[in-house]
Amino acid sequence: MYPPARAGRAARSPEEKPPRKKKLKAKVGLAEHPQIVEIEVPENELPVWDLDAKLKIVGKRVPRIEGPAKVTGQAKYTLDYTAEDLPGLLYAKVLRSPYAHARVESIDASKAAALAGVKAVVLIDKGQGFYAPEALLDVVSDGPVSHPQDREVIFEGEEVAVVAAESEAIAEDALELIEVKYQRLPHVVDYEEARQPNAPLVRKGGTSNVLPADPQVVGDIEKGFKEADVTIERTLRVPVLLHNCAESHAAVAQWEGPKLTVWASTQGVNGFRDDLAKTFKMDKAGIRVITQHMGGGFGSKFGMQNYGALAALMARRAGAPVKLAYDRHEESLAAGNRPNATMWIKVGAKKDGSLTAIHCRAYGTAGVGRDASVTSIMATVYKCPNVRLEDSDVLTHVGYGMPMRAPGYPQGSFAIESAMDELARELKMDPLELRRKNFVDLPLLALDEMYRMGAEKIGWARRREMGPQSASPIKRGIGMGTAVWGNGAGPPAMSRVTISPDGTVESAMAVQDLGVGTRTLVAIVTAEELGVAVEAVKVTIGDTRLELIAPDSGGSVTALSIAPAIRLAAAHAREELFKQVAPALGAKPEDLISTDGKIFARSQPEKALTWQEAAAKLSKPVSGLGERLPNVAPYGDLPLWGVQFAEVEVDTETGLVRVVKVVAVHEAGRVINRATFEGQIHGGVMMGVGYALLERRAVDKPEGRVINPNLEDYKMIGPEELPEIEVLIVEPINPANNVGGKGIGEPCTVPTAAAIANAVAHALGVRIYELPLAPDRILDALSRQKEA
Amino acid sequence: MSKIKSGKGKVSRRKFLKTAGMAGGAAAVGLLAKGPARAATRAQPQGPGRVEVRLNVNGRERVLKLEPRGTLVEALRDHLRLTGTKRVCDHGECGACTVLINGRAVCSCMTLAVDAQGKKIVTIEGLAQGKVLTRLQKAFVDHDALQCGFCTPGMIMSLKALLDQHPRATAQQIKAAIAGNYCRCGALPNILKAANAAARV
Repeated sequence: MYPPARAGRAARSPEEKPPRKKKLKAKVGLAEHPQIVEIEVPENELPVWDLDAKLKIVGKRVPRIEGPAKVTGQAKYTLDYTAEDLPGLLYAKVLRSPYAHARVESIDASKAAALAGVKAVVLIDKGQGFYAPEALLDVVSDGPVSHPQDREVIFEGEEVAVVAAESEAIAEDALELIEVKYQRLPHVVDYEEARQPNAPLVRKGGTSNVLPADPQVVGDIEKGFKEADVTIERTLRVPVLLHNCAESHAAVAQWEGPKLTVWASTQGVNGFRDDLAKTFKMDKAGIRVITQHMGGGFGSKFGMQNYGALAALMARRAGAPVKLAYDRHEESLAAGNRPNATMWIKVGAKKDGSLTAIHCRAYGTAGVGRDASVTSIMATVYKCPNVRLEDSDVLTHVGYGMPMRAPGYPQGSFAIESAMDELARELKMDPLELRRKNFVDLPLLALDEMYRMGAEKIGWARRREMGPQSASPIKRGIGMGTAVWGNGAGPPAMSRVTISPDGTVESAMAVQDLGVGTRTLVAIVTAEELGVAVEAVKVTIGDTRLELIAPDSGGSVTALSIAPAIRLAAAHAREELFKQVAPALGAKPEDLISTDGKIFARSQPEKALTWQEAAAKLSKPVSGLGERLPNVAPYGDLPLWGVQFAEVEVDTETGLVRVVKVVAVHEAGRVINRATFEGQIHGGVMMGVGYALLERRAVDKPEGRVINPNLEDYKMIGPEELPEIEVLIVEPINPANNVGGKGIGEPCTVPTAAAIANAVAHALGVRIYELPLAPDRILDALSRQKEA
Repeated sequence: MSKIKSGKGKVSRRKFLKTAGMAGGAAAVGLLAKGPARAATRAQPQGPGRVEVRLNVNGRERVLKLEPRGTLVEALRDHLRLTGTKRVCDHGECGACTVLINGRAVCSCMTLAVDAQGKKIVTIEGLAQGKVLTRLQKAFVDHDALQCGFCTPGMIMSLKALLDQHPRATAQQIKAAIAGNYCRCGALPNILKAANAAARV
């Protein structure tokens, strides 16, 4: 119904047939315990950058190539387009429902339409809920007056009307002139209340607000619990979070005849274009979507969504370019959120700690949207023969959920890791030992190594001296949790590398950089393969006109979907260059190598051409195309792993928790840029600390309104709350692709809150079953402990 | 200041500033700036139409025709093409729009353009000399103190205000200087590293 939780993969698949196969050997895994594996790959595949690969740039710390543009204010984001760039640019503003549920009896926008400077007014006046932005043209009218028959708004912030005007101020003035008569209808914004049989229904024609998903079942839990010596049964809760990207959802649309260009803050230029094509019933070739610099997405910017649809619609209606940018209030109401959850979990284990059964029933709300599932992690993070996972979505009259950094996993992690710690306590086992007892069986798993490294770095042994017995009112504790996330990297992705006679290299691909360092990664992989410096590579990305397919960025798939394609493109371009310079070196093209900016024959390293000299022999630029080849089985399915340890101080007099330190141990196969890899982990941990201690969207039940739709009342961590973050990286090289890597964006935020909650429970000797671990909850728990 | 546009009886921020600006209420707005504010005295009501506004931005005198309700961040971004200064919350909550006014770090979204007249305004675009970055900017690049980069200009301006006053600022002073700047990507650990490095040189 609302923008679905898409995994963010581009739709087009390569049409070419798979080429013939060849066998290759690769030295993979950890350098300390290398394994030689034989893999079967397409004939045109390159050897894996394995443990023997001599890499000059990959794996080093490379500053972002757009750094200077970003520290001088020159980097241009979607929000930065003004009438100076697009003469005649209009500004669109959206009138939104102030009510959680109401019938729209009439909309009168005649005064707004008559206001000087207003160029277009559109009413969204059909149907229940402005759903499926692709259906936009079916639910709007040009007004200016409408008496809709069947129009209901079903959450605060739902779109009712849109105005495009010469300035933002005029557009805002115009919104205030629009008169809407609402007939309020009963709403339900609380997901516990929404589950009750007499609750107002969010969907017309529905019979219940509770929509169960098919259970995930492994083995037989009844048998599993019978085999258990100890069981733990608990109910845990987590709140709704807001993405709060710095750059709001924004699009600038311009029609030139039948052709549409949209500058968009989006996680996928390709997906955005595909949605526009569906909405406006156009050929994709007539649409160009551009994203050069972007101020974050975190899962909230997949697809065209309402902001893209409305920007393009208003531009068409007004016959002028239109910018539509959400303000922070709109961003908080109608741009996605991370669903909350109530998780009942039961875990059984034998005396030796081996798990026998996990059963979880969870429900959460993605507001009027779908997919609040949280249990998937419980099936994969530890080895357990009997698992039953039951998720339900609960519909409420609140803005829709969107994927948010590892959708479902941080929620589920809090439940399973809390249960594991309590199980350890029952079993009188060390919590870390309990985890070690329950490894999954997978090849190239470096988890044991990661537990060891992390435990040593945090000083796990110090744990014994910590806890509630301390005489000080400040109690200290250490906790941990395990990260896992599925590896979604793979085809399709297409790259083009061009070498020009002046020696410049262009690496192009229709991928976008959300701020994670993708642009720099493109340069690094190109430079490494060609043996030139990063500075020699000009990166062209973020434009569908390139016609070089790349995945939408989400699910930690981007880097390792594109990097193997870039390597192939660079290798093909190099082959062309070698063909043309081989005569000058008196060698065969296949004997040439290119490294450190020089080209020479293997047998005659002293007779070398510089990169510039070699390129000068080209009569015209040469290009190579590279296509992402399929993952090598079974390595492509290996999840991404991590372990995090947190040390906390809890002030038992004020209830304040301070996270002193987080040790984050992560693997993602081969690391391409150590700087941005670490940056991802810093970000994941920071979000996790906020999840544990501060963040929650609050909705007033009687009025059905979000009461903290701003950056003052919605609390995120700042420098004062920032713990010391120590990042440890292990690199078990993974031969699934020619780069040897996986991904990192999501796993680094999965276990942070769980590890902090476990540390707090260790410090206090009492556990809090609900995030965030706010002072009132800490003090409540302590007073209950005293009574007991 | 809540901003329910369709609700009756609510005051939008723009409306508030409009009223405040016309009534010479700049002092009230100025109080929301970082650090001690000096109450502006402005007896003459202005507007509501466009008026001439003279701004000294990055050493250049600029003459604009603006509605008096317009904020400084709007003037910079929409009229002077200085889009390095970001508008994120528009309510003085996030620091992304931080500029220097007479050397102080100020949220340009909480400052009326008319009230910035006669003062020296410095934006992120005013720091580097051509392609030569300042020490602080270079430290940001070298320490990877940015990810999406949207909070970066505000972070740098807040830190510049501090380091101009206290070139050898302590780690605690640095934290305090950017306590009002939010970063969602997680560049914060490296921002602190970069700022500390710039302060120690």
